[in-house]
Amino acid sequence: MTTTVLEIDGLSVATPDGRTLVHDCTLAVSAGESLGLVGESGSGKTLSTRAVAGLLPAGFTTGGTIRLAGHDLASLPGAELRELRATRMGMAFQTPRAHLNPLRTIGDFMTEALVALAGEAPEAAYRRAVDLLAEVGIRDPDRRMRQRPGELSGGLLQRVMIAATLAMDPPLLLADEITTALDVTTQEEVMAVIADLRRHRDLALLFITHDLALAGAVCDRVAVMQAGRTVETLAAATMREDAREPYTRRLLSASLPDEAAGIRQARRSDTVLEVAGLRKAYQVRAAGRGRGREELLAVDNVSFALAAGGALGIVGESGSGKSTTARMICGLETADGGTVTVKHEDWTAPARSAPARRARARVVQMVFQDPYQSLDPRQTVRSCLAEAVAVHRRIASRAEIAARVDALLDAVRLAPALAGSRPRALSGGQRQRVAIARALAADPEILVLDEAVSALDVTTQVEILTLLDSIRRETGVALLMISHDLTTVRRLCDHVAVMQAGRIVEQGPIADVLDAPRSDYTRTLLDSIPRPGWTPQRRLPARIVTSGGTR
Amino acid sequence: MSIGQLARGRTPAPARRAAAHDPLLIAAALVLVAVIGIALLGPLRSPYDPDQLYAGAVSAPPSLAHPFGTDDLGRDVLSRVLAGARPSIAGPVIVVAVSTMLGVAVAVASAWFGGAVDGIASRLVDVIFAIPGLVLAVLAVAMFGKGLLAPVVALSIAYMPIVVRLVRAGARAELGRPYIAALRIQGVGSLAICFRHLLPALLPTILAQATVGFGYAMLDIAAISFLGLGAQPPASDWGVMIAGGQPALLTGAPEQSMFPAALIVLTVLAVNIVGARTTTWAEAKDR
Repeated sequence: MTTTVLEIDGLSVATPDGRTLVHDCTLAVSAGESLGLVGESGSGKTLSTRAVAGLLPAGFTTGGTIRLAGHDLASLPGAELRELRATRMGMAFQTPRAHLNPLRTIGDFMTEALVALAGEAPEAAYRRAVDLLAEVGIRDPDRRMRQRPGELSGGLLQRVMIAATLAMDPPLLLADEITTALDVTTQEEVMAVIADLRRHRDLALLFITHDLALAGAVCDRVAVMQAGRTVETLAAATMREDAREPYTRRLLSASLPDEAAGIRQARRSDTVLEVAGLRKAYQVRAAGRGRGREELLAVDNVSFALAAGGALGIVGESGSGKSTTARMICGLETADGGTVTVKHEDWTAPARSAPARRARARVVQMVFQDPYQSLDPRQTVRSCLAEAVAVHRRIASRAEIAARVDALLDAVRLAPALAGSRPRALSGGQRQRVAIARALAADPEILVLDEAVSALDVTTQVEILTLLDSIRRETGVALLMISHDLTTVRRLCDHVAVMQAGRIVEQGPIADVLDAPRSDYTRTLLDSIPRPGWTPQRRLPARIVTSGGTR
Repeated sequence: MSIGQLARGRTPAPARRAAAHDPLLIAAALVLVAVIGIALLGPLRSPYDPDQLYAGAVSAPPSLAHPFGTDDLGRDVLSRVLAGARPSIAGPVIVVAVSTMLGVAVAVASAWFGGAVDGIASRLVDVIFAIPGLVLAVLAVAMFGKGLLAPVVALSIAYMPIVVRLVRAGARAELGRPYIAALRIQGVGSLAICFRHLLPALLPTILAQATVGFGYAMLDIAAISFLGLGAQPPASDWGVMIAGGQPALLTGAPEQSMFPAALIVLTVLAVNIVGARTTTWAEAKDR
């Protein structure tokens, strides 16, 4: 028989001004079980989890009951509540870097709670911290203990955070979007660590994510949340068959790869953009204590061509140089070598004068990753688009500009009523539509999409990808899509180039590369995509035995 | 993240409504309006000629005839306070306006061009930073003679580095944000980016610094006048009046210094309160 570690019944969460954001969250997690909590941003999954952890913003009120390890949280006095939370649950977050003090070492961070809360001697705490780091698969934990967060990658930091939550041996781990900010291969590493921990510690896991495919692949059961309510809870293995709620089915269809969309031929064969031998080096501080500087080749001998009206995807992990390549094409960075040729003109050097920049703007436009950052927060949608239209001075009168703005809003399927809003009032998908409309204002021949959908929810991703596809059909604009996500590239592109550490390791028609990959790296990328029946693999050595041994 | 947005998601409309329920802000705004009103109209409405000597009442305490009393030469303190308002307010306003305009221009140019421009501007600013404003003002008086003009010009230069440092840091952060890159890719001109996007983004910072600068400038100018280097008799500002009232403090007539001093304190406080609220409001509008 299993014991229930966490039981949430009819939980509601309200803001200080009386708006109810979570209406009814009901779920239970047993010892050793993993429950995925899935929903889009704003569905209330993070708020519900934070209510369990006692991390709601000041003034927020809750209703319903939360039972942690058999205790009703509402009935416990403050000190006991803190004690219960400190020992019976751990929580890991989406952005480990933001949760770590950049000035203190990993060792300081790991031992602080052990010494302060568990009252361990500093040496014992140190040994225990080293063991915990080893348990989450961190190589050379002694050295990591002396490093600071800035010296560690995002995947390593996430594992440090997970190791820290295990310090008090909690029976329950709350994991809030812990892999969302990570590359697919790093995500696989972290999920493999979690799977190991569950096996060895009988750990119950509440895994919050917007990615239903991932939750389905790593959890036993999946609870789906929509608009503040848990609408249904399904066994992960059979969720595709059992899903009853239309919302769940929408999420499921959104995360299914659309095979048919990938097979598409470029209509014209003339090349609109050609990149040859492109190279960009950065001077970085050399690793270690030395004062020396060394050269980091961000982009190394990159060559590809984009056909007019075609769609080329460049995939790779963060740091592979794909965004730098895009920025050089758009003139935001200066190449150190190689050439960028657009419509048989040499574009390698960024345009300096305003007329030259405007001339290029009419050919190449860009959509950025984060729609929260790429729009001026002070501008309304209308003034943002009007500015983009007016800058090219093709039309002069206010009426003509207004008409063109309306046409752009229509092209990206945005309600005209939203024209007066500022970005703050728009959802992520709506903002990205504004950014696309702004890019279309110049009637470009090439649209560079720099991770343009990766910050969005899956259902919104599908909407934006569909929109981009229809825009491509209607206007004949060529797409250069930079992404870490093979699934989205497959939906939109006809050709793909795979980048690793600044080089293109493989490129060709999408079906050839993704269905019959020739390079090991492409295979690794494909293997790390969560899917039904997927087991996350560790590519680093598994458990490392240190002085104290592992448990 | 979503929670942070919820917690911060106050819109400017409630902020404006909240202003109506903020007695401190209302009081500060009233003080400010009154002081500006006095500076503009005061001399016209003053009960006596501020320079007229009244032999009958020397260092007289407040009375119905002279609500603020008279000074050691028998001049009506109320009339002199009213007359002194204009130079007392105009001085700091000019200092803040000039130092802010110069400072913002230098800062934005530094952040925009970077490299050599940034290096030269930053070193220049460091040099000015090393000289205290008051010393520079006294130096200017020594070189160009007494009066308000020299110290005001000197303080304008002395206050510029603070504006440059602050605004340059803000401008650099803002220029690094993707929306600026997006504007460049659209082909929007540099001046348009500066005036339509960069400066509005920096406005809360500039406003906050301007109000703090106003307070300091007012005190510095008062100090210079107090030292006898600013406004010259028979012209007067509040700093001169505080200095003039000094002997009377010992003879039991504190109001000669107290009234102008109180006005300086009130004005500085009011400007800072209004400035702080305006800055909060401008920041809220940006989110």
